[in-house]
Amino acid sequence: MFSIRLGLSPLLHSSKQASSALPRLALHRTTTTPLRLAISTANTTPRRFCSSHSSTSEKDRKDITMYLQETHDKVFENNKSWAAEQVAKDPDFFKKLSSGQNPEYLWIGCSDSRIPAEQITGLQPGDAFVHRNIANLVCNTDLNVMSVIEYAVKHLKVKHIVVCGHYGCGGVKAAMTPKDLGLMNPWLRNIRDVYRLHEKELDAIPDEEARYERLVELNVYEQCRNVVKTAALQQSYAENGFPVIHGWVFNFRDGLLKDLNVDFQTILKDIQKIYNLTD
Amino acid sequence: MSSENTFHYALSSNNAWAGYKAHQNPQFFPKLAGGQSPEILWIGCSDSRCPETTILGMQPGDVFVHRNIANIVSPTDINTTAVIEYAVAHLKVKHVVLCGHSACGGAAAALSDARVGGVLDTWLLPLKTVRFNHAEELDAITDDKERTIRIAQLNVEAGIRVLMNNATIREAIAERGLEVHGVFFDIGCGRIKELGCGTAHKSSHAGHDHVVRGKHGQLVFGQDGEAEIAAAQ
Repeated sequence: MFSIRLGLSPLLHSSKQASSALPRLALHRTTTTPLRLAISTANTTPRRFCSSHSSTSEKDRKDITMYLQETHDKVFENNKSWAAEQVAKDPDFFKKLSSGQNPEYLWIGCSDSRIPAEQITGLQPGDAFVHRNIANLVCNTDLNVMSVIEYAVKHLKVKHIVVCGHYGCGGVKAAMTPKDLGLMNPWLRNIRDVYRLHEKELDAIPDEEARYERLVELNVYEQCRNVVKTAALQQSYAENGFPVIHGWVFNFRDGLLKDLNVDFQTILKDIQKIYNLTD
Repeated sequence: MSSENTFHYALSSNNAWAGYKAHQNPQFFPKLAGGQSPEILWIGCSDSRCPETTILGMQPGDVFVHRNIANIVSPTDINTTAVIEYAVAHLKVKHVVLCGHSACGGAAAALSDARVGGVLDTWLLPLKTVRFNHAEELDAITDDKERTIRIAQLNVEAGIRVLMNNATIREAIAERGLEVHGVFFDIGCGRIKELGCGTAHKSSHAGHDHVVRGKHGQLVFGQDGEAEIAAAQ
């Protein structure tokens, strides 16, 4: 992989030139919207193209096409070395993997590129069943996440369900931006609902950053509750004593996971007063 | 490993990983905290054997991820749609990769006539539709494993068609050359291959090998889409 990056360096050079020739306006337009700011403030690398169709010259176009081909091919090269590495360590690695999965975990996390579940936990392929969506939400009417939970609990019989959020979540910030986000409105509305549920506590936090961090934690907490509301979870727990629920938050600043120590038993008891689906 | 051990392992392993990363590069986490600008949106299966960032040999910050049962792309699913909208319209990723895989439980379920129960049958309906639409081809495959592989590949092709009709994706293709790729992960060997659907065609380098020179080596892209590393000359 390292060699590939080296191999790309001449291209990076040319792309830098290309991007400087492109209109800066286009770049600014993408970085000054509140949403974009909420997601990324610093990480704009020179090799990213920000161009608009109308003003891209033929040469820039060619550079972009070449650049896209190479960023794409890089992935296949990386994958090849990764596969070879696994076989070198254990010749039967993929044979064992093909025979089936028996994961202990269901991981429900954010789509954010900085939180690859397996890498940050050191779990191996086969250890964790994974669902990732915007802001790690578990919504009752979302058949996508509900299918994941049902399959993981009833069919794979996972022992732990982890809802993992992260500080600096662009989805959580976007949800609190007073702006119509079109197609994303129905999804992000759920986060505003979390705010409303904990309005008093959140309003009492004067520092805006601290308030967002707390909202991230409370969002994880509420999504854990939503998992507990499912029939699959309640029935499996009554029958087998598992799975149990955990709420974690990932912190980019030090790369560490924080366990929110969600009190599963108490939540279950509370939930079942109204949402009992075990009978 | 007992289940309680796995749990503690994950947390303590994270501790070790964070320490290692920070030791290797003290700027790693401060930079991550600054924001994300991934170039790839990955839509894959929740299956535990398909950890995208690991199998792609990439790092945190490189791949924006949505994973669901059987990597189904359903046009009205607001979960997937919100992910696509965010990744394509706001993060402006350059590639959308839809990845299917061998030995997929969802694919096997779609080939069976039994009901799975709960909400799963409804979720798997697009896959079931793929099965009925390609009944002749699938029925002609005698080996169960091969049939599961074939339906999983057809499922990727169906998903790509949905992606290519998505309004946000169409705009991004026209305006800034976003690429959409259908790929397949073979769990039996760990390799990913392109299925030749979506926007990208291997023909972009047809007719000649494409060489990217680096300081210590060079990367040769062959006509077949394969890439090799050669020593610097």
